[in-house]
Amino acid sequence: MEKLLKLTKSDLRELEEEKKRNFEQRLQFIDAYAAWLKKTPNKVWSRQQNKLSSR
Amino acid sequence: MELAFSKNKISFKKELSPLDRFVLKFVKMLKKHKIDYVIISGYIAILFGRSRETEDVDFFIEEMPFSKFQEFWNDLVKEFDCLNAADAKDAYENYLKEKLAIRFALKNTFIPNCEIKFPKTKYNNYSLINKVEVLLNSNKLNTSEIELQIAFKLKLGSEKDFEDARHLYKVFKEHLDIDLLKSHIKELMVQKEAERILWKNY
Repeated sequence: MEKLLKLTKSDLRELEEEKKRNFEQRLQFIDAYAAWLKKTPNKVWSRQQNKLSSR
Repeated sequence: MELAFSKNKISFKKELSPLDRFVLKFVKMLKKHKIDYVIISGYIAILFGRSRETEDVDFFIEEMPFSKFQEFWNDLVKEFDCLNAADAKDAYENYLKEKLAIRFALKNTFIPNCEIKFPKTKYNNYSLINKVEVLLNSNKLNTSEIELQIAFKLKLGSEKDFEDARHLYKVFKEHLDIDLLKSHIKELMVQKEAERILWKNY
């Protein structure tokens, strides 16, 4: 069974573009999350943050 | 997020995380021994809400004579293990004096750990001198100036660092000294990164 990916320059360019898109989406998420944090009481966001860290 | 700002001081209350409690325990030992310190890097973003974990918390502590460091060490090792130095002399001479960090975790644990260094560069010294006092519930913590932290995160340059920089910028935007931030960005030569990570809207 063929196991090699045999990526072309075009495939690699697509991967780079995907990486860039993913990162930009992460930044968009950070913006949305920061906006939510700013309007959310400390007690609420810190409790959610704690749930994440205690998983 | 309710934050109260005054000159070089940020006060707020929140539910403490296990990481916050660990940091406060270490800071209590620094205070007990009257050691000046500043917390830098990732923990600051996490302290102010960033949704990620970290395995280490970075500190600069004031440079001090060996006798003072030994007293601190002797007290610290009652509750913490040093993860990379054998004893106080090894830690002081082969790590701190050589611009290397020593790491402490609670006894019989490995993470999280506090990574401490003596300030050795202009950036390190600036961080220690221009620190911000954070009053977290009723606990005092010294953290790096937020403007410097953002610029330095751009300098470090990983995706995680860029995300931390944007988080701090977005959360503190209305309270930042933008001229100071731009000055740090210029001095650290990260204008291109700032353009992409801070100023650009996505």
